[in-house]
Amino acid sequence: MTKINRRQFSALLGTTAAAGALAMPNVTGAASHGAKPKVVVIGGGAGGATAARYIAKDSKGEIDVILIEPSKRYYTCFFSNLYLGDFREYASIGHGYDGLANNHGVNVVHDWAASVDGANKKVILASGASISYDKLVISPGIDMKYDSVPGYSVEAQSKMPHGWKSGTQVQAIKHRVANMPEGGTFVMVPPPNPFRCPPGPYERVSMIANYLKKNNPTAKIIILDTKPKFSKQGLFEDGWQRHYDGMIEWISSEVHGGIKNVNPDTMEIETDLDTFKADAASVVPAQKAGAIAMNAGVTDGDWAPIMPATMASKADPNIYVLGDASVAKSMPKSGFSANSQAKVAANAIRGELTGSKVFEARFANTCWSLISDNDGVKVGASYKAGAEKIDVVDKFISKNGEDEATRKATYEESEGWYSGITADMFS
Amino acid sequence: MVRVLVVLYISINIFSITQAVAERSGKLETKAILITTHPNEGPVKGDFEYGEYLAAECVTCHSATGKDKGIPPITGWDAEGFISVMNAYKIKDLENPAMQLIAARLDEEQMASLALYFATLPEAE
Ligand SMILES: Cc1cc2nc3c(=O)[nH]c(=O)nc-3n(C[C@H](O)[C@H](O)[C@H](O)COP(=O)(O)OP(=O)(O)OC[C@H]3O[C@@H](n4cnc5c(N)ncnc54)[C@H](O)[C@@H]3O)c2cc1C
Repeated sequence: MTKINRRQFSALLGTTAAAGALAMPNVTGAASHGAKPKVVVIGGGAGGATAARYIAKDSKGEIDVILIEPSKRYYTCFFSNLYLGDFREYASIGHGYDGLANNHGVNVVHDWAASVDGANKKVILASGASISYDKLVISPGIDMKYDSVPGYSVEAQSKMPHGWKSGTQVQAIKHRVANMPEGGTFVMVPPPNPFRCPPGPYERVSMIANYLKKNNPTAKIIILDTKPKFSKQGLFEDGWQRHYDGMIEWISSEVHGGIKNVNPDTMEIETDLDTFKADAASVVPAQKAGAIAMNAGVTDGDWAPIMPATMASKADPNIYVLGDASVAKSMPKSGFSANSQAKVAANAIRGELTGSKVFEARFANTCWSLISDNDGVKVGASYKAGAEKIDVVDKFISKNGEDEATRKATYEESEGWYSGITADMFS
Repeated sequence: MVRVLVVLYISINIFSITQAVAERSGKLETKAILITTHPNEGPVKGDFEYGEYLAAECVTCHSATGKDKGIPPITGWDAEGFISVMNAYKIKDLENPAMQLIAARLDEEQMASLALYFATLPEAE
C-alpha cells in the first residue's frame, strides 16, 4: 500500500494548524507576592519523577521543585523481566536524573527522606538537613513485609531475592538462574494481593522459562502461589503450554495450603503439600507503602488513602501520595498508573499554587506482558475520579487465539511504551 | 471531488499508521461515507491548554518528540487527520483495543483540543 507522508497530507487538505494563533491563556499567579511556591517530591520513581517533571515543566519556573531520591540511577522494575529473558541489557533499564535538572530546573537532592513534619510542612533528610514545602508529593513505592513469609528476611533475600524493587536483586536472580544445574528447579513465590504489578510474577516466570528453554531445556519452574488465581491467568497458561510445555507448574494456594517456611540455607520451601527444593528461587513477600508514607502519618493500615480527584492524602491536604503507596482502587499498582496519577496531582498542585486551570482527573493504565519471543499480551483500563475511589470507565484484555501478527505488534507496542514512559519521567 | 480524495487519503493514512492489511480495503467505502456525512467544516475548535493537559495521557506511550518505536508518532499531525483517526478508533473501525479505549471517552472538544496541541509539536523525523 502506498504510504503518503503527513506533509503531503497537510498539503492535500490545504490546512495547516496555525500554532502561532493559539495563544496560551493567561495564568494568574496566586503566590505573586514573596517567595516562589515550593514543591518537594519524595521518591524519583514512576510517580515521583513524573510529578516533579510535570510540575516544573508546566509551571515554567513559577514553582520551585525539589526531588529527593537516594539513587543516582533508577533501574525500572518494568522491563526487568525482559532483562531476565535476555531481551534487554541491564544498562538499558537504568535512567539518570540529569534531564529533570537540565531541562526543567528540578533541584535533585540525592538523599533519603528520614521523616516528614506535616504540622510544620518540613521534610528532614538522612543527612540532617531540613527542607520546607508548600506541597509535598510522596511516591516512595513499596516496602516488604518480611514476616509475611516465615523464614524470610533481609538476609534471606540474598539467597532468595525478591527483585521487586529498583536495584541489583534482579541481577542476582539472573545470576542464580544461569548457575542452576542441568535439569534444576527454579521456584517462584508470588506475593498475596494487593501488590506491585499483578502480572509481574507470571511474566517473570515466562521470561525465565524463555531463558531456560535456550540454555537449560530440561530445567523446571514451580510457582508456589499465595493466591488461588492471578492476573491474565488464561493468557499466561495458554502461552506456557504453547511455548514451554511441561516446564512450568503453577500450584494454587488452595492446593499447597500456604507457605509454611522458607529456608535460604537449604533452599527448601515448605508447604502442607510438600517441601520443595530449589536450585534457584525468587520469593516476593507481601507489601506495604514505603516507610516514609507511614512516617508522614498519611497511611491507614498498609497503604495511604487519597482523594480520587487530586491524589491528595485524606489525612493531610498538603501531601499528595502517588503510585504503589496509595490506595488508588480500582487502579492496579503499576508504573503506568503511578505516571498517570502523577499528572493528575501535578495539575491539581499547580492549580492550588499558581492559579492555573485545573482540569478533571482522568487516569489510564495498560500493562503489557511478554510471554515469549514476539508473544506479547496486554490488559488495560481507563478510569475517572469517583466520590470515594477511582472508578473504571472501560477496560480490555488480550484474547487467547490472537494471530501472531497481533501478538508481535503488542510486544512492539510495549517497547514503544517503555521508551515513551521513561522519556515522560526523565527527559 | 477534493473531499472524496481527502477522505480516501485519511483512510489510507489510517491504514498505513496501523499497518492494517490490504484485505480490509473493502472498508474504505464505509469510512468515506461515514466521514462525508459528518464533514468537518472550517477550522477545528479546541482549547490548547486543555489539549496539553489531555496529551499527557498520550505521551506515556507516544513519545512527545515523535520517536517511532513500536508505537506510531502523533506529533505534527494535521488536526483534521488526527480527529479522523481518533474517530475511527472511537467507532472501532481501527482495531487497537488500547486506542479504542482512549478514543471512546474523548468528546468532540477534547479531540479537537488534542488535535490542536499535537499539530503544534514538530513532526517526527
Ligand atoms: C518485576 C516487575 C515488573 C513490572 N512491570 C511493570 C510493567 O510492565 N508496567 C508497569 O506499568 N509497571 C510495572 N511494574 C510496577 C512498577 O515498577 C511500579 O508500580 C512503579 O515503579 C511504582 O511507582 P512508584 O513511584 O510508586 O514507586 P517506585 O517507582 O518504586 O519509586 C519509588 C522511589 O522512591 C524512592 N524512595 C523510597 N523511599 C524514599 C525516601 N524515604 N526518601 C527518598 N526516596 C525514597 C526509591 O528509591 C524509589 O526510587 C513492575 C514491577 C515489577 C517488580
